[in-house]
Amino acid sequence: MDIINHIFFGFGVAFQPDNLLFCFIGVLIGTLVGVLPGLGPVAAISLLLPATFRAPPVGSIIMLSGIYYGAMYGGSTTSILVNIPGEAASVVTCFDGYQMARKGRAGPALGIAAFGSFIAGTLGVVGLAFMAPPLAAMALKFGPPEYFSLMVLGLTVLTFLAGGSMLKSLMMACFGVVIGNIGLDLVTARPRFTFGLDVLLDGVGLVPVVMGLFGISEVLLNVEEKLSEREIFKTEFKGLLPNLQDWKESIWPILRGSGLGFFLGILPGGGAVISSFVSYGVEKKLSKHPEEFGKGAIAGVAGPESANNSATAGAFIPLLTLGLPSNAVMAILLGALMIYNMPPGPRLITSHPNLFWGVITSMYIGNVMLLILNLPLIGLWVKILKIPYPILFPLILLFCLIGAYSLNTNPIEIGLMLIFGVLGYLMKKFKYDGAPLVLAMVLGPLMDNSLRQSLLMSGGSGMIFFTRPICLVILGAVTLILLLPVLPLISRIRKTVEKTEGN
Amino acid sequence: MRNTDQSSSLFWLVVGIGIAISSLKYGFGTFHEPGPGFITFFAGAILTFLSLALFFSSFRDRVDRGGLRNLWAGLEFGKVLYVILLLVAYTLMLKSIGFLISTFVLLFLLFRVKGSYRLRTILLMSFLVTTGSYLIFEIWLKAQLPKGILERIF
Repeated sequence: MDIINHIFFGFGVAFQPDNLLFCFIGVLIGTLVGVLPGLGPVAAISLLLPATFRAPPVGSIIMLSGIYYGAMYGGSTTSILVNIPGEAASVVTCFDGYQMARKGRAGPALGIAAFGSFIAGTLGVVGLAFMAPPLAAMALKFGPPEYFSLMVLGLTVLTFLAGGSMLKSLMMACFGVVIGNIGLDLVTARPRFTFGLDVLLDGVGLVPVVMGLFGISEVLLNVEEKLSEREIFKTEFKGLLPNLQDWKESIWPILRGSGLGFFLGILPGGGAVISSFVSYGVEKKLSKHPEEFGKGAIAGVAGPESANNSATAGAFIPLLTLGLPSNAVMAILLGALMIYNMPPGPRLITSHPNLFWGVITSMYIGNVMLLILNLPLIGLWVKILKIPYPILFPLILLFCLIGAYSLNTNPIEIGLMLIFGVLGYLMKKFKYDGAPLVLAMVLGPLMDNSLRQSLLMSGGSGMIFFTRPICLVILGAVTLILLLPVLPLISRIRKTVEKTEGN
Repeated sequence: MRNTDQSSSLFWLVVGIGIAISSLKYGFGTFHEPGPGFITFFAGAILTFLSLALFFSSFRDRVDRGGLRNLWAGLEFGKVLYVILLLVAYTLMLKSIGFLISTFVLLFLLFRVKGSYRLRTILLMSFLVTTGSYLIFEIWLKAQLPKGILERIF
């Protein structure tokens, strides 16, 4: 079979010593940022992006992906031990993982999280290897109108799935489109929204925006909190291996979580976060002892931890086949691939097979590394958790400052990062989500391009989006999603009207 | 302002109108040949419309969650402001003073924001982190950090 050849070819790439090292550094840093609260994978990847410009592209992408799924592993450790989720996708793990730890079962909880993540990550990679090539072949038939509709769908799904108000998420998406289009217009060579600043002619860089929105803002929020002591269990981590009974209770949640996570991961927007919540809900429904959930049920750790890991594999599908990122991390990887002159899209698999298959198989190797790394090193991660925040936050800030400066050795990049840091801080205060902004910012120029091309194709008629069948289906889905939250609103308004009339 | 959504929606309303008007200046073009401001005009216009929707829908929210002040109630906002000012000052001075000195000073001040360590500990930590990051980013990763006044001395 063709696919087996491809996978072997991929292992050939991933097992090159350089790439093994990149993979190891990636998962190590990933676990580290997953453990550290207040520094997530998004900020870490954008931080390391400038450092990879001089490294080989395949190795760089392997490392950056490693950070992403490594963080999912690390996030579970803090959830279980201190009830602080290292990143958003591990929030659910707190519910039962922390309770298990309080009952002296921190070991099996950490163990099943690691094994579940490993199984799910592996299944996710296999799914990715099988699903991506046929999807890419289909995407080759897409023209600019299809791409434009797909991007609109992506942004809509994201705003629908993103936490909080959909209205606010849509607003952030609009703002993101504008930020993404700052700089010289490629068609007319006229500057847009540059405010007379030469640095903005090239556009606003993704890295300062992301580090500001996800790194600096998080620190500012933590700085204003009054400090409380973190309670860490002084359990001995001798019995990390789950026993047979644990396995019996966990194996189906792990498999179900893997499937759920993979398919939800393909959807734009917080696939890992949502899939962990969905998996928890499903397991609670299916369980014979739903009353144990929230009191330390091992299935409540196994399912969500598996789901958030396979979701990371699923998230690669739209990026590698369509060239469209589905979350903020994928948006940064898209930026990285552009810089390496390997634009992702349906042709990536055939034009850069070493990148595609190398990265996929490296994820498999990375999962093995994580398993080896996480179980014996839990003691080390716990020590890192003990670094007090007054010492930690200046370090995070310093990394962000150096990362932004080294983009092109210009302090203005730091200035941009600080502006978006303050904006991100206020956005969190006023409950606006940053993810739609980042995604729309990356998609902005692509949308501008495909919209203009579509209109050129049709001779200025917007009907082109409604006469092509694929577009019509996609835009139909967009309308449906936009109407969903409005429907209860309509019914509520009706009720109020009825009440007033009744009075 | 009765609740925070009202104030934030007004902010985005102004931003949206500003974007739409400037887009028209950059050139909307025609549907046949869209200009540079085409897509940003629509983004600005939709942002304006959505802000209005948020503004009016926030009145339906009967629960009075308090105004802007409640967002910072019981929190140390002064420290946030102080950290932001330090970072701005660092950005402005970085080129002229150089990485080593400005980073050392920044860390020295930042370590004191939330912690209460002895002066000697803070000085030592600032020194170690500054030299450590210099070794990693300048010597190993060749990030070309600014040398500033040290360059003139040596």
